[in-house]
Amino acid sequence: MGEHLTFIGSVTAQLVRAVPVTLLILAVSGVCATVLATGLTAMSVARSPLPRLIQRTWTFLFRGTPLILQIFMIYYGFAMVPWIRHGLLWAAFRDPVFCTCLAMTCCCSAYIAEIFRGALAAVPRGEIEAGRACGMTGFLLLRRVIAPSLIRIALPSYSNEIIMMTKSTSLASTITVLDITGVAQQVIAHSYRTLDVFCAAAALYLLINATLSTLLTALERRLDVDRAPTPLAPIPPTLEPLS
Amino acid sequence: MTVPPPVLTATNIRKSFGDREVLAGISLEAREGEVISILGGSGSGKSTFLRCLNLLEVPDEGQIAIGDVQAPLTRNRHGRLEVSDGRAAARLRTQTAMVFQGFNLWPHLTVLQNVMEAPLRVHRRDRDEVLATARSLLERVGMAGFHAAYPKRLSGGQQQRVAIARALATNPKLVLFDEPTSALDPERVREVLALMRSLAEEGRTMIVVTHEMAFARDVSSRVVHLMNGRVESSGPPAHMFGPDASPAFRAFLSPAAL
Amino acid sequence: MMDDLTLLGFGPDGWAPLLLKGCLLTLAVSATSMAIGTVLGVLLAWARLKGPGWLRRTALVYGVVLRGVPELLVILLLYFGLPSLILSLSETFGWEAPGLPPPFLVGSLSVGLVSAAYQAEIFRGGVGAIPRGQFEAARAMGFSDLLCFHRIVLPQVARVVLPALGNVWQFNLKDSALIAVTGLSELMRTSLVAAGSTRHPFLFFGVAMALYLVLTTLSSTAFHYGGRYSNRWDRG
Repeated sequence: MGEHLTFIGSVTAQLVRAVPVTLLILAVSGVCATVLATGLTAMSVARSPLPRLIQRTWTFLFRGTPLILQIFMIYYGFAMVPWIRHGLLWAAFRDPVFCTCLAMTCCCSAYIAEIFRGALAAVPRGEIEAGRACGMTGFLLLRRVIAPSLIRIALPSYSNEIIMMTKSTSLASTITVLDITGVAQQVIAHSYRTLDVFCAAAALYLLINATLSTLLTALERRLDVDRAPTPLAPIPPTLEPLS
Repeated sequence: MTVPPPVLTATNIRKSFGDREVLAGISLEAREGEVISILGGSGSGKSTFLRCLNLLEVPDEGQIAIGDVQAPLTRNRHGRLEVSDGRAAARLRTQTAMVFQGFNLWPHLTVLQNVMEAPLRVHRRDRDEVLATARSLLERVGMAGFHAAYPKRLSGGQQQRVAIARALATNPKLVLFDEPTSALDPERVREVLALMRSLAEEGRTMIVVTHEMAFARDVSSRVVHLMNGRVESSGPPAHMFGPDASPAFRAFLSPAAL
Repeated sequence: MMDDLTLLGFGPDGWAPLLLKGCLLTLAVSATSMAIGTVLGVLLAWARLKGPGWLRRTALVYGVVLRGVPELLVILLLYFGLPSLILSLSETFGWEAPGLPPPFLVGSLSVGLVSAAYQAEIFRGGVGAIPRGQFEAARAMGFSDLLCFHRIVLPQVARVVLPALGNVWQFNLKDSALIAVTGLSELMRTSLVAAGSTRHPFLFFGVAMALYLVLTTLSSTAFHYGGRYSNRWDRG
């Protein structure tokens, strides 16, 4: 029993050291995918057909194929291209962490863009018309009227997608990255105590997911105007000029 | 003249939800061909009582018999009544039918399928016979042209008329109506009430929970007024709507009579 | 270019037969895991809705864990854990050691276990979406529980659930690629082997992508029409 606990303790210590790798992949690809998804969403409502076509093709391609295949394509495929192999980019493409982040950015941006697109369609027309009616156009309308509604609508699905991304980071282990799953696999392979290692690794993933979803739920609650308490402070007689 | 046999005998029905006693011992007997209107303010327990009669709610106390078949209610080890035999309860329910406030038509079946479902699947009657009955019932409720429509396409009044046809399709001994017109527009109320009136004239045994005073007065053979979970007063409509009615029932009527 | 065509052809150096076989295996694994997921998912949903307290909690924990942990980790658990489990079981009961479990079984079981967690949520939501009055109308007419489930619950759940199940199927299809790590030569594994031995990774991964796109597109079309059929009564 004592030996058992010592083993679980040392496995957990090993796995915890791999947590930064998992978080790094998640953070980099999370941020990049969200930025790229914003661009894709803008393309999806563009007037000219070419950007719309690009967005649709992108979504079709990356949602219709397994992420692991995309990772392999980038990691093994680009290594065979002479101008990459002997060019400046090789420093990046030989790094499995970079390749994982790149693949996840492409793949998850497609999913997130679909979430944003759905939310954009769900922003009540009247809100936008009211903005137009008081003279707002373009970026101002987007920033002050559309974006706040859109973020509120999209947030639950977006949180879901972030959880899915946390799980997807484990695929990095298939191209030699020693993230949580990679280390777990190593330990299993030479200790054969599968269930213990699985439980320790699972606990770490659940902890990461629980933290993320708590944060995102808190954000959701802050943004939820329907549930916000009515401010009791009286409106000041003279309003500060808006900056 | 001989007295017709009782179709339903409910004795001393009690029911509480948590601390609140909703039914404080109600007894009711319905004889063949009777139309009983149950009236009462909101929270008087009238819907709960009706739902006890076909065991949609299990009463805490009391006995129910349809014809001479007792409802399979026994005491569990906590001393509360429960349905001891689900099949026997289902068999008992096949003798009755219910029309709901919210229609409760099955949305995935067409009008005709809704009417045919129970006689076909529960009573296992002959398909051609069921089809013929269903068609004539739909004609009877004025919905013959809609047999292939899905409920979603129908208005509330139309849905309720189909629900009545569905209730009659098994040829039940007793039809329970749970506020059948409360969810309808005033326009549609009339068409459903007219249908119910013609069923009453046909000699159907019906127990109707309703707010429609005119229906209670003109159509029913007996009016029962529930108050605080008890029968406050009851009698033939001529008596209940006459000068000798109980003060409580007159008070209940007064806002409507104004 | 000629070279590529030979590699993808049906000739002695061509990989076409193996790739097609891989496709079929991918479909077979996905379908098996979908079926495992449906059976287990229904049981889990029932446990969450009607089971006794301890079973309800177990089902809840199962759902949280299997939906929160990477699929790859579940595959590793079964790939390494199942053989030793079978071994210790056969020792306990004195059976003859049955040998290693077939990779097909390990693969479809692990994807199926994850799928079950998602499907359970879908079924639970589907039953919850049916108004109570629907059950009451059936019970008031003397329907038995089984008849009510068969005639009233199932058709209505199918409508709510089918689009979501289509999504789960797409995930199953893509998750099945992860089983490549166990050495089962489904589409992903075959393309990996082909890419390695011919040193044409772009070609073979590209072909594999195209084949996955065919599979996902065809099945989403099928689910679309299935959904429309099961929804025919809801179009006002």
